[in-house]
Amino acid sequence: MRILNKLVFGGLVGLGLLPLGLLTVWALGEGWHFPHLWPKRWSSTAFLQIFSGKMGESLWLSTWISTCVAVFATAFGYITGHFVSHHPLKKWLLRLAYLPFVSSPVILATCLLFLFIKIQLVGTILGVILAQWMFAFSFAIVFFVPFWSPQMKAIEELVYTLGGTALQAMRHVLWPMSIAALRMCFFQTFLISWVQYGITLMVGGGEIQTLPVLVYFYVNEANITFAAMASLVLMLPAFILMTVNRRHVWRD
Amino acid sequence: MAPSVLVVIQNLSKRFGNAMILQDISFSLHRGDLLAILGRSGSGKTTLLKCLAGLEPPDSGQIVVDGQDVRRLKPQVRGMVYLYQEPLLFPHLNVFENVAFGLRLKKIAEKEVKTQVNALIEQLGLADQAHKAPHQLSGGQKQRASFGRALLVKPRLLLLDEPFASLDVEIRAQMQTLFLNLAKTYHTSTLLVTHDLKEALIMGKRFGLMQNGSLKLYETPQAFIQDEQTGVLREMAFWQGQG
Repeated sequence: MRILNKLVFGGLVGLGLLPLGLLTVWALGEGWHFPHLWPKRWSSTAFLQIFSGKMGESLWLSTWISTCVAVFATAFGYITGHFVSHHPLKKWLLRLAYLPFVSSPVILATCLLFLFIKIQLVGTILGVILAQWMFAFSFAIVFFVPFWSPQMKAIEELVYTLGGTALQAMRHVLWPMSIAALRMCFFQTFLISWVQYGITLMVGGGEIQTLPVLVYFYVNEANITFAAMASLVLMLPAFILMTVNRRHVWRD
Repeated sequence: MAPSVLVVIQNLSKRFGNAMILQDISFSLHRGDLLAILGRSGSGKTTLLKCLAGLEPPDSGQIVVDGQDVRRLKPQVRGMVYLYQEPLLFPHLNVFENVAFGLRLKKIAEKEVKTQVNALIEQLGLADQAHKAPHQLSGGQKQRASFGRALLVKPRLLLLDEPFASLDVEIRAQMQTLFLNLAKTYHTSTLLVTHDLKEALIMGKRFGLMQNGSLKLYETPQAFIQDEQTGVLREMAFWQGQG
């Protein structure tokens, strides 16, 4: 039974890592044609693109945009989640927060596009951050509403009756108790923004080339090597964040 | 000399939507008193405590503490600590810091904090648990730490909302005795609400019965026992039948 478990586990890990392995071979190999099992040559051209050129620029741009989106979505979601969870119309407000996920992001972005053109945010980094933030913010609200549970409210009220002000309750009790949830929400909203394609393409007007946009650009160009390298770069932070996130979640 | 009146509640009412939760509640509490209010779930016990603590605004009525109407005062300055059914220890603080929490808020000197907290922790029988995290404690130990945290701020009135309900029978009995001793030592005035008849009888000096938002107070423990509605007589008859 234990051997079977190990085999299944190994198989699942292998399946999970297979795309990464394949992308690595595509990104670093040259002249890989059928029926060869292995590329003819290895090249670092695509790899060097990470540090300079278009891919490097996209990497920094994506990092910058996703960090902004994650910071603002987490901060606003934390506060709004508190408001919604204690509101008499909690159910209705929560349904509103689900709206961006119920309607397709692309459809919503098309609707928003008119507004963004009017306020001249199309083709700007700020426009992309704002558009992505709307989705990440909704996610953060949905994430934090259950966090602000009746028990958290009871703890908050207990601090008040012990003589603590709202600021003291936040500083000494609620904030320390929130750190794990804040960290998890930050990671997840970062990832939501990191892999966002449709909204970025529409609101960015093709001028804001984040990594997902660049991957499609290379795919359209039939530049498999660069597309594979950009995909690897796109995937790796997600893997790193998920690993860190999982470790902290287990620890906390 | 008769103890002075600490709290006077007059015609306190509270409604949630169409439901009348509290109806013209009136009673008074003396210093050092322990009023036990018996009531079923949904009878309005918790709302009464929350109104007193300042966590829920009453629709009408007066709450006078030490001669001062406290209705407009925030919970922080009312001097009433409200303890829930769960101990609600802060998970990021150890037992010592949980008990010391109220003193830390008041920015009491470190030396004084250590002296007071260590003395109380000793009384609570938690001396060897002081540096443990709340999740390392048993249910009874958590509840003891919770009482310690509340008593150390020397509240004018302690509001207990079924504080022993989550404990098993044996631990509950120990906790009831411990609390009565602590309340005596710290001269604490207490308002306890419970659905547990036995707990009300063990803990209370004075008694009340809450039904559908109305409170009935009893002049003597005997009057509480003799009232059919409290269920004491039925309980006694049951156990006599068992014997």
